[in-house]
Amino acid sequence: MKARDILSYSFSAIRLRKLRAGLTTLGVVIGIAAIVALLSISQGLQATITSQLERGFATDTLIVTAGGGSFGMGGGLGGGGDSGFKLLVSDTQIINNLPNVDTSVAIVEKLVNVTIGSTNRVSTVVGVNFTEYYAIYSDTFKADTGTIPLNPENDSIVIVGRRVIDPRLNGTVIANVNDPIDIIWINATARPPTTITLHRNITAILKQIGSSFGVGGPSDSNVYIPITQAQTLFNTNESDMIIVKLKSSDQTVIDNATKAIKGAFSGEVSVISATAILGIISSVFSIIELFLGGIAAISLIVAGVGIMNIMIVSLMERTREIGILKALGTKSRTVLLIFLCEAVIIGLMGGTIGVGLGWVLANIVAVVFRGGGGFMGNQANAGTSGMAITPILTLPVFFGALAFGVGVSVIFALYPAWRASKLKPVDALRYE
Amino acid sequence: MISMTPIVEAVNLKKTYMLGKVPVEALRGVNLKVESGDFLAILGPSGSGKSTMLNLIGALDKPTEGKMMIEGVDISTLNDNQLTDLRRRVGFVFQFFNLIPRFSAKENVELSLSIADMSSSDRKKRAESLLETVGLKERMNHKPAELSGGEQQRVAIARALANNPRFLLMDEPTGNIDSKTANEILRLIKGLNEEKGVTAIMVTHDQRLATQSKKTVLMLDGLIVQEKVN
Repeated sequence: MKARDILSYSFSAIRLRKLRAGLTTLGVVIGIAAIVALLSISQGLQATITSQLERGFATDTLIVTAGGGSFGMGGGLGGGGDSGFKLLVSDTQIINNLPNVDTSVAIVEKLVNVTIGSTNRVSTVVGVNFTEYYAIYSDTFKADTGTIPLNPENDSIVIVGRRVIDPRLNGTVIANVNDPIDIIWINATARPPTTITLHRNITAILKQIGSSFGVGGPSDSNVYIPITQAQTLFNTNESDMIIVKLKSSDQTVIDNATKAIKGAFSGEVSVISATAILGIISSVFSIIELFLGGIAAISLIVAGVGIMNIMIVSLMERTREIGILKALGTKSRTVLLIFLCEAVIIGLMGGTIGVGLGWVLANIVAVVFRGGGGFMGNQANAGTSGMAITPILTLPVFFGALAFGVGVSVIFALYPAWRASKLKPVDALRYE
Repeated sequence: MISMTPIVEAVNLKKTYMLGKVPVEALRGVNLKVESGDFLAILGPSGSGKSTMLNLIGALDKPTEGKMMIEGVDISTLNDNQLTDLRRRVGFVFQFFNLIPRFSAKENVELSLSIADMSSSDRKKRAESLLETVGLKERMNHKPAELSGGEQQRVAIARALANNPRFLLMDEPTGNIDSKTANEILRLIKGLNEEKGVTAIMVTHDQRLATQSKKTVLMLDGLIVQEKVN
């Protein structure tokens, strides 16, 4: 029998039992849709996080924190390793003298209460040298209203992110430039705890940056004051982190600078680069994708069992037909192919519909997620608010899902198809 | 005249089935020869072994002992694929027609041709001409359920003839149709045999039908007990 004839024969057999074939196909559709939806959402999420990270964390910058050896977010950014080593604001001078370093800026940040009019919120107050900070983050550290005075020797300067004066980012502005702002710092480690309040006026409001996972980079929710002011306010010489701008974003420059900085502090600091964080995120996401894909794959395997069940029922119903085919001179191999072909058709149909449905589902989830951004935005946490995920369907996922659907269908059809092909014509013809 | 190889030759043919744990001797040493152009009727009551005989002649089954030669080839020596090839040279006609219900008359005939790898356009022409031969030109697009028993059997005969078989092998071809139609079917078979030289082997338990053939053998308890030229 020619391939085309086998195909059309299989089609005619499927058409005969539309409902049953439809339900079997539905199983594959659900499995594939789950895989595609989960993977495209997770890939979209990864892309979103990566792009936000890249926006808030230039690839030619390094983050230096206290805490030797421990690499990564946990120990590194927590500040203060086990050794008691502290990173000082003045350490920028050491770093600036290292090769490949363009400039560096020390950051002192604490959670404080910020009162604007009758609104009282918890915000992060960040003390930086505006000139150097602007040199590193010239794209995002930009005033929307008012101006950011560079070389600010004036302690009274307060620059706020967009979300500080427009908490829901919906245009309901609670303060403008020159309006009063109170920064209230409660030193809970002092005995008795002390409260210091800075009465200031807003000097400038930053342009909306959008959400970002940037470490050290400007954020919509932060309040910026001069580093000297922060040191006075918090009574500290310690720097939470030093952001280093390199002369280039070459991997060798990053590696050499990282080594040099670590060497300068005898290994008591962690140096994180954007590429390293991206690497961590990417590996975390591959684990998540594997996990999600695995869950979805289970549903597809269940669908495969369904296919096998249907095929066996179909085999019994069509025993006589197989007998006829064999009596007419159909080879066993052809009978096998007819049954496998039915599975391929079901797998392909289910796979195609499943990929489409999964894509639609992923987009629905993305829209729901985006809608939820406003709700999440109510919370002070700036990092994850208003996150826009655009699901991504890559070609490998597209074809992989299709191939997986067809593969599972065929694998589970192998046994019934093999049984069909092994039927003896005499027995099959006698079958009632 | 040079002796020709018989189309079918059974030599001391034996077949034993296991019915559960009880062995059943369906054939107990049958000798039979069918020459080209013959019209043989195998007559016998049920249980006489004639269906077993038919399965062996059609290469659907292998003998337990003895030889079943089709065109001089012992089917016991053939593998699965060779048996399949052999079956394509046999035109089967069954008592219950055994048409594929979802296919039209024409498609049923075409199926047999597509199994033999004939191209789609050739198939259509051949199927139409075959159905014309069996007198079903007008109804070839009907499905089996829309055809009478006699018509269905005509389709089955057209299908059996599709690949120019060496012989027609019929299992109670009129067993499931009324006697008037049965006579028509038999006339058709006789016509094919006499006019087109189609060798025909028919298994039946109907004495009256059997007398229409050129030669009749009577089977009883797994043996041929009588041979008669009509």
